[in-house]
Amino acid sequence: MPKVTYVQANGTRHPIEVPIDENVMRGALYNDVPGIIGECGGARSCATCRCYVDEAWTEQVGGPASDAERELLMSAEDVLKPNARLSCQIIVTPQLDGLIVHLPERQY
Amino acid sequence: MAIDAAHPVPPAIARPRGKDQVPAHVPEELIRSSGLTTGPQFLASPHDFMAGMHRDYPPIFYDVNEFCNAWQLIKHADALFALRHWEFFSNEGATPFPRDPHDYFYFIPIEIDPPHHRKYRNIVDPLFSPQGVLKLEGLIRGRAAALLDGFASRGECEFTTAFGRPLPVSIFLDIMGLPQDMRDTFVQWAVALLHSTDRAAMAQAMKSIVAYIKQAIAEKKAHPDAGVISRIAHAAPDGTPLSDKEVFGFVIFLFIGGLDTVFATLNNIWLWLARNPDRCREIIARPDDLDDIVEELLRRWSVTFSGRVVAQDLQMRGVKMKKGDRITCVLPACNFDPEVFPDPLEVNFDRPRKTILAFTVGVHSCMGGHLARLELKIALQEWLKRLPEFCLKPGAQIVYRPGGVVGPESVPLVWAQPRR
Repeated sequence: MPKVTYVQANGTRHPIEVPIDENVMRGALYNDVPGIIGECGGARSCATCRCYVDEAWTEQVGGPASDAERELLMSAEDVLKPNARLSCQIIVTPQLDGLIVHLPERQY
Repeated sequence: MAIDAAHPVPPAIARPRGKDQVPAHVPEELIRSSGLTTGPQFLASPHDFMAGMHRDYPPIFYDVNEFCNAWQLIKHADALFALRHWEFFSNEGATPFPRDPHDYFYFIPIEIDPPHHRKYRNIVDPLFSPQGVLKLEGLIRGRAAALLDGFASRGECEFTTAFGRPLPVSIFLDIMGLPQDMRDTFVQWAVALLHSTDRAAMAQAMKSIVAYIKQAIAEKKAHPDAGVISRIAHAAPDGTPLSDKEVFGFVIFLFIGGLDTVFATLNNIWLWLARNPDRCREIIARPDDLDDIVEELLRRWSVTFSGRVVAQDLQMRGVKMKKGDRITCVLPACNFDPEVFPDPLEVNFDRPRKTILAFTVGVHSCMGGHLARLELKIALQEWLKRLPEFCLKPGAQIVYRPGGVVGPESVPLVWAQPRR
């Protein structure tokens, strides 16, 4: 299973094995990783699963997958960082094995 | 103290009623009797009424009525705060659904606060996630098509009985692992339980539902299958099987939470479509934007309310609330907050995406939200493919029913007969 490392704002790292085709938000929720809430469950409706893709992975992962994702990120962040994503919109693939995402201090 | 889900007891939280039972800390100038959900002004046009609350009411006021006095939150930001902070606003004892005190049960997971709540959600979330519900797409489409093929050539129907109720009930039965020949019975139970003003009829319906569900749980325990009832009946979070009370409270909550809200949402939207043929044409012309269309329709036609009990004293917008007070988030009004959704009554499929409150927010966000979105999407596609032009039956009287799920009682529709 591909490994995703979630890095909390305080630096704590959570390496988690996430099944292929699962999204990065659920990988955190099912394993009690603090820092991701994902309250709408992946409907692109709440922006409470925000993460920042590690520099080494931004090219591979890419930017927001839709206007809705971009607009939600804009509604939640004062200044939109170029590597900000909704983790529910990042689907785990074999190519993403080793992915590192950084979590904000708070989701709201 | 957190409640023990395996040993439910009726909550001992006061339900103050009427103007003689207003707590002393509520200032006189914030007391209103709005008539929300039951008054003639509300029932004349509920969504217009709730949009108008931003003009006619303070952002937080204390509603006094004969059912249960409570603070009403109508601002989008306030509802987000309340629904996201369970340490201030608890779900324990907040669900106003009457139950037998001698055989009490909790609605699971809605009545369970964190952290225990997550263990229940983890049991069913994979099935109700966006990816999970997509597996149901073919099945939902088939059910919608079969219903439509049964009446499309007739030139008319009463929407709610022909389509709005049977569609979600059919899908519910499929998901639960229950037989389709129970469809009409389940519709009758849901209507008697949730729409009836006759308490004896309600109690009788509840009794039938309880008996049926208990028998279904026993059967699934003996013969596991892929349905949700079986999944819940056999769930053992952290190795501990759920108790009978938890299994029952979970299954019956899915029944009560999942049917009436969908009926009402579909009714509201089809009434609007019938009155706005140009918007039907717009939806047909924009098949690639259907997800945005669904989201905006859910914002504009939200149907429900969300209650909490204040868990510790706090102030919001300078208003003092005390432990034990009840609050209601008026979700449709929050979706009409002009600070967040300018020109709020306008249906605009190109609005920038923002958090809508149709399914609430916070840990108790509706677990069926993705299913509801998919059902609505498929219903629009299949209906408009066959019946792109339809309107209200001339002379139809639209009557809204009072209560916590907002929608017209019936929506009689007519359309031109298809040419043969």
